[in-house]
Amino acid sequence: MDEVTKEKLEAIRRGELSIVENVERALERIEKLNPKINAFIEVNPEARAQAEELERKLKKGERLGKLAGLTIGVKSNINVLGLRATCASKTLENYVATYDAEVIRRVKAADGIIIGMTNMDEFACGSSGETSAFGPTDNPAALGHIPGGSSSGSAAAIAAGMCDLCLGTDTGGSIRNPASHCGIVGLKPTYGLVPRQGLIDLAMSLDQIGPLSPDVYGAALLLEVIAGRNPNECVMLDVRGVELADELNVDIRGMRIGVSPKFEELTELGVMEVIDGAIEKLHDLGAEIVEVDLPHLEKGLPAYYLIMSVEFFSATRKFDGRKYGKRIEEVCGEEVLRRIIRGRYISRKEYRGKYYQRALQVRTLIRRELMSALERVDVIVGPTVPKLPHKLGTKLTPMEMYAYDYLTVPANLAGICGGVVKAGEVNGIPVGLQIQGKMLGEKAVLRVMRAFEASA
Amino acid sequence: MKMMIGFEVHQQLATKRKMYCDCPTDYRDAPPNTNICPICAGLPGAKPLPPNEQAVDAAIEIALMLGCEIVVDRPIYIQRKHYDYPDLPSGYQRTSSPIAVGGELGGVRIREVHLEEDPGQYDPTSGLVDFNRSGVPLVEIVTEPDMRSPEEARRFLRQLVRVLEYSGKVRPEAGGAMRADTNISIEGGARVEVKNINSIKGAYRAIKFEVMRQKAKLDRGETVTRETRAYLESQRITMPMRAKELEEDYRYIPDPDIFPLIIDRARVERIRASMVEPPHLRERRLVEQYGIEPSTASVIVSERELADLFEAIAASVDPKLTASWFRTKLKKVLNYMKLRAAEVRFTPGQMVELLRMVKEGEVTPEQGELVLRELVKKPDGPRLIAQRLGLGRIESAELRAAIEQAIKTNQEAVRDYLAGKREALHFLAGKVMELTRGRADPREIIELLRAELEGGSNDGE
Ligand SMILES: [Zn+2]
Repeated sequence: MDEVTKEKLEAIRRGELSIVENVERALERIEKLNPKINAFIEVNPEARAQAEELERKLKKGERLGKLAGLTIGVKSNINVLGLRATCASKTLENYVATYDAEVIRRVKAADGIIIGMTNMDEFACGSSGETSAFGPTDNPAALGHIPGGSSSGSAAAIAAGMCDLCLGTDTGGSIRNPASHCGIVGLKPTYGLVPRQGLIDLAMSLDQIGPLSPDVYGAALLLEVIAGRNPNECVMLDVRGVELADELNVDIRGMRIGVSPKFEELTELGVMEVIDGAIEKLHDLGAEIVEVDLPHLEKGLPAYYLIMSVEFFSATRKFDGRKYGKRIEEVCGEEVLRRIIRGRYISRKEYRGKYYQRALQVRTLIRRELMSALERVDVIVGPTVPKLPHKLGTKLTPMEMYAYDYLTVPANLAGICGGVVKAGEVNGIPVGLQIQGKMLGEKAVLRVMRAFEASA
Repeated sequence: MKMMIGFEVHQQLATKRKMYCDCPTDYRDAPPNTNICPICAGLPGAKPLPPNEQAVDAAIEIALMLGCEIVVDRPIYIQRKHYDYPDLPSGYQRTSSPIAVGGELGGVRIREVHLEEDPGQYDPTSGLVDFNRSGVPLVEIVTEPDMRSPEEARRFLRQLVRVLEYSGKVRPEAGGAMRADTNISIEGGARVEVKNINSIKGAYRAIKFEVMRQKAKLDRGETVTRETRAYLESQRITMPMRAKELEEDYRYIPDPDIFPLIIDRARVERIRASMVEPPHLRERRLVEQYGIEPSTASVIVSERELADLFEAIAASVDPKLTASWFRTKLKKVLNYMKLRAAEVRFTPGQMVELLRMVKEGEVTPEQGELVLRELVKKPDGPRLIAQRLGLGRIESAELRAAIEQAIKTNQEAVRDYLAGKREALHFLAGKVMELTRGRADPREIIELLRAELEGGSNDGE
């Protein structure tokens, strides 16, 4: 998959592909593949009408927005007016959004067409796509395996070609992990770059909305559309917006790329071999490979699970059964319940110092460690997920499941950005290369991602 | 009996918008659940707007009026206080860590001042919740347990309410009247907290009840344990709260969706420069500046507008005369007409003119009061009012004629007086007042009568 998004946009602009046709193709493909893949929970019944409207605009010679008629799948924890924001949970089974999330407003304003709501781990609690109340999602790139999670449906939809681009969310790796397992491109933006107004929380201090795409160009384009400050939101960076898509094709000669011996310690051999090959290629493309020290990286995982659980407990208090039909504890799956109970337990007054405060200290430690490493290099490159996706239906212990997240949670704890491109395969199963950048270092990250993609 | 009483007082701040969204705060006439948006209704995915700056300023001003030190240049966290109740749209209430500490009012130390948001309103009978009020900013004032009797506690609350009203930054009218929690402990017993108090009177009754209840327990040799009770307004008693509510742990966390507030010194100084002078300090100043009695000053500062009016008038006419008129006459007229000083429509200049007329003897103080009453009812020039009422000093010939007439027609009273019954003189004075239709000064009448009667008897011998 090279520049499919770019090519499609050009075809639409030149009139070779009608927007209506683009939407119809997507709908057909969803209809055909979704029973098997289960990437979508709901399809937007208005998509065709919106395509016709855009087509009329185009025929009248009006200029369309950046997403001109592209089909966009949206993770089910983002509010889209009139569609269900279920969070793939029985708790919100029948909750129809009454407003558009800020990112949805921006996608619509850029003439993107919301094609439907994608499947996910329940309330984004999971790394496999199996905890959804609407059933697990299959991995189109490695059928019979998990697609990763929690943006499982969004990644699978891209891998199966069911739509052009997707929005996902990443709290501890939920964009990067399924992008890696499904062999596509995903990007977790810097915390505070993309508005969260309208995103149903997993953990507020870690959540970030980002793009999933078949190519780097598409990810850059969608990020351009959704990024930038929202005056109606408190915790955001004061960044007007970013120009990314047109500045991708700059070679990486002379860039300083950091690698850490820590990655090898934490990662399965087969996966690491693919990653080593990718790093070798970056070296061949002219980058300078520099070793960086990340001595406490693995401590991020327990800290992440503590902080996330406390925030998730707080966020789910509104699902008390009074307003949205069902009380979360009564209908949710076991992983969601586990996190609520853990959050309730460790936020108790007498345990605050022992768990939550300690976790926040570790978070500060990890942030400092990554920041100081990123002072010496432009990006840090390594594996995304330490192991290959398991076969659907395999029973894992919670700790085995959490172990998928070792390499992705540090970026969330530190608030930095991280992107994933397919590095290669192990026995036909995709392995993603993770490129982590500084805060607001998206441009450098995308540049490395694009250079790698172009060399494939 | 030694006792310690403290308060946590909440009152709505008079801002235009809610604390974390753009909904208006005036929800009085809105049908239930119409004054809401995704944010204050806590819809899934809704995020708060940055905290309302007007509310922060208001809380700073109130804290300054209470002599507090503002927490400057340090992060003030907006915390989530979790509890499960139908009136909370998100299952938590947002409350700030202290924005100010260490104040004092009337000998009671103020421990902390916080900013909070109001929950919605839940009606347990119908089971309905109305979120119109949800998100209205509140100021919370926490005292040290410095009050030693229910009366002291009541006095403090009255003073506090006066400060809050003075600030002009609270809205007592919108069903958001003062809400208070109190804690009471008497020597030998543990601290008992009482929630659900909605008025000064309620606080006084709740404390009195608690003191009696706790004392009776101790007298019987029982122990008073630490607990939280609710005040039941209808029965004027306190009741233990349910066990579930007692175990409550609010699991405070800083709200990850809101940056901590940071108040800088310049902002505090800007507010201090234009802040309203607090009533207890104003009272002291009035005594010193105008040389008036403390008890009179206390009456004058009872309402900010009354004190403003006083100072406007005392600038142009004898302050002591003004003060005495405020205390004995204006306050009486306003009370009688059930008016607040804020509703007075006459100008300070009109009252200055009236007081000058009194001072120059153009009208008697009694006549002046009649003019004042008209002035309050329908403002006009006091001279015009006096004319309209037919008031004004009587010519001395007419007064003398009236006195002679009164003596002539009331010989019995004259005899009584001459026989030593001094009250008879007042009876005669009353008759003269009648004859002159109140236009003569009673003191002058008495003097003239006395001179006439005593002189007259001499003549007769
Ligand atoms: Zn609102």
